[in-house]
Amino acid sequence: MFRDFFDRAHWFALGGLVIALFYLLFFSPVDGSTVRKQDKRLELVLQEKARIAFLLETYAPVEELAAAGNRAAALLKLEELERDFPGEAHASILRGSLLLEQGAIAEGIAAYVLGVRQNGDYIDARSLLGRHREITALVEAELPLIKVRVEKSPNSRTWNEALNNIYYLQSRLAGGCE
Amino acid sequence: MSLGIKFILKSVAGLVLLLLTGSLLAGCDAVKERPKMRIGYMNCNSEAETRARFGPLNEYLSQKLGIDFELVSVDTQEFAERFHKGEFDFTHTNSLLYIILREQKNLRLLATEKRGQYGPRTAGTLISRKDSGIKTLADLKGKYLLFGPQLAPSGFLAQYDLMLQAGINPEQDLAYYGIPRGSFKHEKVVYGVYFGKYDVAAAPALDLELMIRDGKITADDFNIIAQSEIFPYCTFGAARQIPDELAEKFRMLLLDLTPESTVTYQSETVKVLDSAWIDGFAQLEDADYDPIRRMAKNANMPPYQEF
Repeated sequence: MFRDFFDRAHWFALGGLVIALFYLLFFSPVDGSTVRKQDKRLELVLQEKARIAFLLETYAPVEELAAAGNRAAALLKLEELERDFPGEAHASILRGSLLLEQGAIAEGIAAYVLGVRQNGDYIDARSLLGRHREITALVEAELPLIKVRVEKSPNSRTWNEALNNIYYLQSRLAGGCE
Repeated sequence: MSLGIKFILKSVAGLVLLLLTGSLLAGCDAVKERPKMRIGYMNCNSEAETRARFGPLNEYLSQKLGIDFELVSVDTQEFAERFHKGEFDFTHTNSLLYIILREQKNLRLLATEKRGQYGPRTAGTLISRKDSGIKTLADLKGKYLLFGPQLAPSGFLAQYDLMLQAGINPEQDLAYYGIPRGSFKHEKVVYGVYFGKYDVAAAPALDLELMIRDGKITADDFNIIAQSEIFPYCTFGAARQIPDELAEKFRMLLLDLTPESTVTYQSETVKVLDSAWIDGFAQLEDADYDPIRRMAKNANMPPYQEF
């Protein structure tokens, strides 16, 4: 076992290897799981940024038409984009805004609700996509008016649905979830 | 055969005959008891299309209310006259016809059809080709314009009113205006501009939306020169003599319809709303139709026409 120099060298090298492995296992400054977590976090951030950039670029023509006051054309452009990206939450939020501006109150609120249900980021004040301020203003402006409509026509299913929808937005703004 | 067996056979035969006659008579009584009523459906494009679209909905209403509703497809121009003669108990018309029947015969509002982005509302637009250079209402003077049918709120009235509001008299300031012949007038006006035959078209916002959805045109093909305010879309109404309870049941059936509601129609189970090209129904109020009233007054059209 320890008969010659060659044997002793072998045992010495083996011992060194075991010590090195122990050190790497228990005292290494960067362990494997941290690297994996960092990779995943980076991946998520990149995905989110890419998604936001894609949405802003794709729906830019709608925003431009709306900004120029051509809301009818903006809605038609939105309809066209719906063919390629059906059920996209960003489209629902834009549609809500355009419909409200044209006086379609109940439908505008319903579109906001759909957008928020599809993606909660739109109600999040910290999200780059967030429309927290816009939705807060919508609730503050429309809730009293819809209450009046419901009081005037208590059996109107259309206005009762609109009231439920605006209560939903109010609850999400207050931090409630689905 | 003994007399006893003969007697039993005769008795059984007599009993069967009696039961059959009884059940037949009872059946006749049940059919007799089921009332008959007529629903007038305004033709949008053609009688065949109206029957195909509204047949299942008509059957659904018949089954749920226990009334034999006859589906009557009616030409838009004849609708008011036939309603005045008492031909229909319920009506399905555009919002201008609703106003006419409301003002003249106190038609009761039941429910408004939801279709497209504006739900139970729609709008009229004036469009030109993207490369035409016609971008504003002021550019319309001296141009060739194609309208939809004359009693179409979103294919004629709204655009006529838009021009009047902008100080353009369609009767004097356009080089020419026309209305296409035959069915599918709304699509024809869009294609009239698309293929360059006319400078400007009076297109319903809903038809543009549907044509874009179907890939027939793109949003970039046209300039939206102007769009009217929104106003209610097609409407179900009830004649004044219909009892309140029945009218309310009719309304609730419409409001309760969901995309999953089905009916057995011509031996097939079909989705009621899908068949009728409707997204659902909304409960609007008569005051919601005031934009149509204002437009009709401004354009000197029925029911406010003055000569």
